[in-house]
Amino acid sequence: QQVTGVVTDESNDETLPGVNIIVKGTMTGTTTDVNGQYELNAPSLNDTLIFSYIGFQTVEVPIDGRQEIDVQLSPVSLMGEDIVVVGYGTQQRRELTGSISSIDGDDMKSYSTSDPADLIQGRVPGVQVNSDGQPGAAPNIRIRGVGTFGNNSPLFVIDGVPVGTSIRDFNPNDITSIEILKDASAAAIYGSRAANGVVLITTQQGTTDTPLQVEYSGYFGIDEVWQRMPVTGREDYQMLVNEGLRNAGMPLVAGNDPNSPLYIDDINTDWQEEGLKTGQRMNHNLTFYGGGENTTYNLSLDYLDSEGTLVGHGPDYERYSTRLNTTAEKGIFKFGQSFYYTYTNEKALNYNTSELTGGRPPMIVDLVSAIPTLGLYDPSVEGGCAGTDQTIHRAIVLNVPCTNQLLEGETNVSRTFASAYGEVDIIDDNQQTLTYKISGSYDRTNVRNVNWVPEFVQGFFFSNAAADLNDGENTYYTGVVENTLTYDREFEGNHDVTLLVGHTYQRGGGIFRNGYAEGFPKPYFKVLDNGNTKTSSGSENANALESYFTRLNYNYDDRYLLTATLRRDGSSRFPEDNRYGNFPSASVGWNLHNEDFFSLPSFINQLKVRASYGQLGNQSIGEYQYIGTINTSIPYNWNGSKVFGATQTQVVNTEIQWETKTTANIGIDARFLKNMFDLTAEYYSSTTSDILVAVPIPNTTGAFDPPTVNAGELRNSGLELALSYNKMQGDFTFDISANFSTLKNEVLALGGNDEPIYGVGTKTEVGGEIGRHFGHKVEGIFQSQEEIDNHAFQNNGTAPGDLKFKDVNEDGVINADDRTYLGSGLPKYTYGLNFTGQYKQFDFTVFASGMGGHKINSRIYRYLMLTSDYLNYHEDMLDRWTPENRDTNIPRRVVNDPNNNGRDSDREGWLQNGTFLRINTVAVGYSLPQSVREMVGVKNTRVYFQVQNLYSFQHYKGYNPDFTAGTFEPGYDNGSYPKPRSFMVGLEIGF
Amino acid sequence: CSDELNLTNPNEPTTDTFWQTQEDAVKGVTAIYAALLNDGTYMRMIPALTDGRGDDFKADTPWPDLWQVAAFNIPATSGPVAWVWDGHYIIIYRANQVLQYVPEMDVEPELKERLLGQAYFLRGLAYFNLAINFYEVPLVLEPQEPSEYNVPTASEEDLWAQIHSDFQEAQSRLPVSYNDVTGPDQGQIGRATVGAATGMLGKSYLYRERWSEAATEFEKLIDGGPYAVYELMEDFRHNFDVDHENNAESLFEVQFGSIEQVGGSVANYGGEPNGNWQQRSSIAFTYSPEGYEDFLVTDWIYQAFQQEMTVEGEFDRRLQPTIMSREYDETVYGHEWNYPGDIYPRKYTNEGLPQPELREDSGINYRVLRFSDILLMYAETQNELGNQAVAAQYIQRVRDRAGLPDRVAEFSAFSQQEMRDQLAHERALEFAIEAIRIHDIIRWGWFDDPAKVEELRQRDSEFDSWAPGKQYLPIPQDELDVNPNLEPNPANN
Repeated sequence: QQVTGVVTDESNDETLPGVNIIVKGTMTGTTTDVNGQYELNAPSLNDTLIFSYIGFQTVEVPIDGRQEIDVQLSPVSLMGEDIVVVGYGTQQRRELTGSISSIDGDDMKSYSTSDPADLIQGRVPGVQVNSDGQPGAAPNIRIRGVGTFGNNSPLFVIDGVPVGTSIRDFNPNDITSIEILKDASAAAIYGSRAANGVVLITTQQGTTDTPLQVEYSGYFGIDEVWQRMPVTGREDYQMLVNEGLRNAGMPLVAGNDPNSPLYIDDINTDWQEEGLKTGQRMNHNLTFYGGGENTTYNLSLDYLDSEGTLVGHGPDYERYSTRLNTTAEKGIFKFGQSFYYTYTNEKALNYNTSELTGGRPPMIVDLVSAIPTLGLYDPSVEGGCAGTDQTIHRAIVLNVPCTNQLLEGETNVSRTFASAYGEVDIIDDNQQTLTYKISGSYDRTNVRNVNWVPEFVQGFFFSNAAADLNDGENTYYTGVVENTLTYDREFEGNHDVTLLVGHTYQRGGGIFRNGYAEGFPKPYFKVLDNGNTKTSSGSENANALESYFTRLNYNYDDRYLLTATLRRDGSSRFPEDNRYGNFPSASVGWNLHNEDFFSLPSFINQLKVRASYGQLGNQSIGEYQYIGTINTSIPYNWNGSKVFGATQTQVVNTEIQWETKTTANIGIDARFLKNMFDLTAEYYSSTTSDILVAVPIPNTTGAFDPPTVNAGELRNSGLELALSYNKMQGDFTFDISANFSTLKNEVLALGGNDEPIYGVGTKTEVGGEIGRHFGHKVEGIFQSQEEIDNHAFQNNGTAPGDLKFKDVNEDGVINADDRTYLGSGLPKYTYGLNFTGQYKQFDFTVFASGMGGHKINSRIYRYLMLTSDYLNYHEDMLDRWTPENRDTNIPRRVVNDPNNNGRDSDREGWLQNGTFLRINTVAVGYSLPQSVREMVGVKNTRVYFQVQNLYSFQHYKGYNPDFTAGTFEPGYDNGSYPKPRSFMVGLEIGF
Repeated sequence: CSDELNLTNPNEPTTDTFWQTQEDAVKGVTAIYAALLNDGTYMRMIPALTDGRGDDFKADTPWPDLWQVAAFNIPATSGPVAWVWDGHYIIIYRANQVLQYVPEMDVEPELKERLLGQAYFLRGLAYFNLAINFYEVPLVLEPQEPSEYNVPTASEEDLWAQIHSDFQEAQSRLPVSYNDVTGPDQGQIGRATVGAATGMLGKSYLYRERWSEAATEFEKLIDGGPYAVYELMEDFRHNFDVDHENNAESLFEVQFGSIEQVGGSVANYGGEPNGNWQQRSSIAFTYSPEGYEDFLVTDWIYQAFQQEMTVEGEFDRRLQPTIMSREYDETVYGHEWNYPGDIYPRKYTNEGLPQPELREDSGINYRVLRFSDILLMYAETQNELGNQAVAAQYIQRVRDRAGLPDRVAEFSAFSQQEMRDQLAHERALEFAIEAIRIHDIIRWGWFDDPAKVEELRQRDSEFDSWAPGKQYLPIPQDELDVNPNLEPNPANN
């Protein structure tokens, strides 16, 4: 039966060309022509037509016997129509009063990553994501700044179930949308764990009345580390080392001494060239979905392989995953189930610290600072890795490419994340519904860590006499049972009320076991049984959380909106008297465009103002911290016979209690100029008090780990803007969105006597922001002995060419009391820019993000610029001070560094401008036209080419300006692994 | 249902349930001893950072901290210096717990006295090491409440008064030997004895130049004194090997055990102890040319040994046990001399001993106090008290073991200053590379004497960068940063 009609844009009545129309449950379909008109043959006039078009809401229209059907489509981003996932339910965006940012699944998929958390980067204002460049790297996510001193990562909730441990195990391809709950009101329903914000992840479901749909998507790409640290080659290196020794009055090291028979003139290793390789990544995803009248199903199978860019055993990351989501309903009953299983294999970037002498820096630092006068391999030694000699090189150099082939470490994760719910509508009539829901979930992660170290000798510093193996298994589990009752009623006169009450009990914990064996005969069989001596270790812990909560939503005529929430949480992590905390919040909204007495200027289509205030709790600390314990395994021996001592080794605070975060938020949401512009602006101020943190204590206590205490108070405030523009007409349609946020952080108290907290080259003090750079001010370089004599005393060995430090307290001596603040380590602003466009069959994406206003303290750069050491140098060192090169700000070379030029200071390069802009994604796609697809018998088919991390505009002389860092040293880059540039080709196809 | 939230720690007893039984008391004391095995105590840094500063030892290392300490310009941010600080306060914390809880506990009375005595001894030893290395430090004498964490620096007087008091308390409680006691500690050689406490008490008086009090204590250990159970080992090397540990010359030593001896899979550098900890010493590998070779002996000490030959016309019998040399060592570690240099330290290495030089895995006990030190310190007290003839006898007793000629008559005629110079020479040879030398130099006031400083500079050019006060280790910057009541010391500038 023939059906015809015209499809138009609801917002402006213009016709829409290229709209897809299919007959529901069949492969029959067509598209609208340039005039928005269509014509198709439906098997029956009882069928239903599905109209879909990018950027618009898909609608289903029953033919209902008609032969002419005109349809209006409304843009999806139209504010009032979006369905937003909130805690324990969904809401329409126009009804929202809290601060929630949403990210659409399609946008996210234009970035390839192993970790769903990476997808948030640059997408929404107020969220900062930092990550390193190795496969499987876990990013740091901070929603609205550093809210606490301890664990700052938000709570992840997948389909309503809180995630116990790492989010990394989850497959990004399963995600349809991510919502980020930023203020107290939005997050309040998750009270106890929501202080750092909540990330709600919704995964794909099937659709009712749909025959089996099959979709494949996949890509293949190569990864290149395009950045290089410019380091010196052999001749410059030897010249610089020799100069440093001569300046110190010390004899030259044989390998660098042209007069020595051991002089090295035939090796010039470029370690970055030898150590970095082309990595590759691929992903295959197969999804089956559909549904009957009352059931839906969605099954996905996914494989991800990401092979890193460092020569040797890792870092690599590989993941297999599968998810099955189903739902069914009949009458007043409904249930749903989700089952996710994943197996991952990670070869991490880290060595087991006990394997290599003297705690090593991140491998990339060791790689870059390796000396050019050492080769890679030495077949004459056990293990075959060339190493440095005390006499010939003196430098302590880890041969990274070779060591990374010798040592083997991997982590295998097997994780099951299963949840199910049942629902019954106890009351369901026209005015009101009352729904009871019970849900349960279990998240179990088995982690096997294997670390193998064969016998090897690598120079004078690194060796292993007996091959050893650590093989351990950790199990983490979280079980949650939840009961909720939801009552919804529309009262006469447009009063809509929804009341939710609920109870949840959560129990989690971990079981840790490790087996160790050493002394393996050759040939090696790397299982514990083959070691000559074996030891085992193990421990376990558990936690429990019990909560009661209630939420009231009130909506009067879509004009006045109110949400009020109260949650009471009990945590096993606190002593009995402090166990429970109450966390209330409230928010209001006003849709001005729905007011009659009030007429907005005509260019404003929609305008809402909203405000919220509330409190959230935090208890993310370790278990049992309020009870002192006795370590009963402290070995000693009496003349060779082993005995065990026991004592208290750590101090505790017995009074710890909930940390509380109080947030105030105001915002506006507006659409204007024919709904083409969409703006959200928000301002927030949040204060975290009773912060749970391990504040450093004097080591005169004899306890080397500081106890967790409630110390301090922090305030964060910021402005967040998100603006988008959609052009939906014509051959060329596009969508531009930008977001921008500022962050201001202030420490209001630090607990106890408000003693400052020192980090790596930082100080955190009341009245300032967290982790400001702290050290000496440099006033230049001493040019003469006279200048040294006239300056405050620095050191007996200070000589011309050394740095002149400012005598801040003017006491005539340069010492620790002359340290002062040297700048911020926290980005002051972050932003993201996204462009997606479509021209006929082609689509384009450009996505960029950045941050700025802070300074970076770079371990890798400082390592390469050390005055004193025998390691390799940055090329900047060639401009060091010498009697002939006085006009420089780089001090002289002198082994032993008597002036301590290496101390924390603002000397050139020690603190670097952190501002950057990274082009994260550039992609071009081509979708097969309808005619070809019909011929071949496929649905939507798209091929694309994508470049990820194309370029980063940065001042920073390290690899990666958005490294992950510690709370008290946010501006300290300990040696972040470079982010590779990836070239990818991909295919999406549906059957 | 609050019970659901009441979870108990399944891993360890809590403080509420410990410190009850006699067994708990014994274990508490053992835990104090275990803190002697860490990087910041005797496993490495107490010997390394002390020997490095002496005129008999110089750095030859790529590790900046080691040569900066040796050259007296170590920054207060140094990790190894902080480990020494931390390691000793761990000893003190554990001792304080025993001293706090054990007196009230139901423990067999004589055993209780011995346990308390050991806690006093170890705390005294920790404060002694802190005082001689850091000059002035805070006194912590009981487990602290959070409000008490920021302890002020104690005066030099108070600090030494506490050291004397701790050793006195120990002396009044400890037995001569554990072979004769009854109780769980019966036969456990290596525990602190009354001899150890008496020797350290005397030594701590000596450091304060309280000569007659020091002499009184030393007399208890020699020639018919109540605790005179010690004698010099005939073979000097037996004081630095595995096969003659806890020997007749030893008043107190730290019980190291190689992995082969006592097992373990986790290096005992520091951190939270666990049952798999090793108990090995890093000193052998740190000093040996087969290891890191972080230090070399100076030519001066090598020459000093050769000033005087034995009665048989051979080298001082202490030379070879102290220094390995191309001159007289045809083979080292079972192979030909293949080192680029001519002399290297041997004392506390495994060269010539049955076991090989394994990576940071030496089981050689560290001898904290030897009887020869008692003899020479006693001689020093007698010289300072004007009894040069007595001093001469005790000096000769130590010389005899080295095979050196009898010069009692000559020494007896020395002036007090001549005798001081002779003692300085004798002590340099007897105690080279034993973490003693720099402390002798400091207490003798050589740094206040420009001529002596010049002499030191001639012996070891590392003294060129010495500045007043830098003979001490600086108070760790982290500690100064966190505790506003703590004072920097002269080495902090």
